[in-house]
Amino acid sequence: MTVDGAILRRGLYKGIVTTLELSKVIIPTAVAVTFLDASGGLEILAEWFAPLMGWLGLPGEAAVVLFSGYFINLYAAIGSMTAMNLSMEAMIILAVMLGLCHSMIVELAISKKAGCPVSYILPLRLGMSLFMGVLLGGMLQ
Amino acid sequence: MIDVFWDGLTGGFEGVWILARVVIPLMVVLEVFKANAWLDKANRVIAPPFRKIGLSQDGAFPVVVASVFGLTFGSGVILSNIRENRLSDTEIRISGTFMALCHALIEDTLIFAVLGIPIWILVVPRLALAVLASYAVLWFFSVARPRLS
Repeated sequence: MTVDGAILRRGLYKGIVTTLELSKVIIPTAVAVTFLDASGGLEILAEWFAPLMGWLGLPGEAAVVLFSGYFINLYAAIGSMTAMNLSMEAMIILAVMLGLCHSMIVELAISKKAGCPVSYILPLRLGMSLFMGVLLGGMLQ
Repeated sequence: MIDVFWDGLTGGFEGVWILARVVIPLMVVLEVFKANAWLDKANRVIAPPFRKIGLSQDGAFPVVVASVFGLTFGSGVILSNIRENRLSDTEIRISGTFMALCHALIEDTLIFAVLGIPIWILVVPRLALAVLASYAVLWFFSVARPRLS
């Protein structure tokens, strides 16, 4: 096993760069969602998505977490989660759903390069995510 | 107005702090893995069970890389590997299916575990669904499609 200063420094550097990259996503998302909450916009969105989210055992505002995870990435989802008061059950459902399907803009492109078309991977991941949401939503509520 | 901005900002920094505690140590560990070529060695041990879902040792390697490093950080290794090893269409589809559902098992799991979510519930469903979906693809390519044509 080789572990030397150069390897550790490289890891540390990559970790810090990645954290800075992520903060560019997390901080604006958290600020945006907090504003959305304070302006009453989140409540309107929540009411709008409540019936749909109800199928997944989630409160309406969780739609914002789901969308930021699906479209942006898991860090954006966590940024919006920290701006809300979600129950542990809701966080578990969201974490499992988002684990299966997230960062679609970036990851679908990578899957495509790896030889699997978007028309296959997108329904696969979204379908599995919704399936687990309905399953866990039914079990935990 | 300023209050709301400040609330959002502190919330955001809390989120960054949660993730820094995961991402920085993880990157250090992954660098040590890479420097020692531990994944190549691990693959020889991990690969055999993947034969059941139709993946050879070469086909299992991108899946192992994706599971540990993730699709984004691992993409360089994953793509060059698929190209160099000339995997069959079936293997490409099976490994792609597995990787899409189950990857970055360390990073994705830890960032939610920090919020207090049990680790097993973050790992087991992804692994189980990835195995099931891969098996379904193998069945489709080896049993269903040949029968159709």
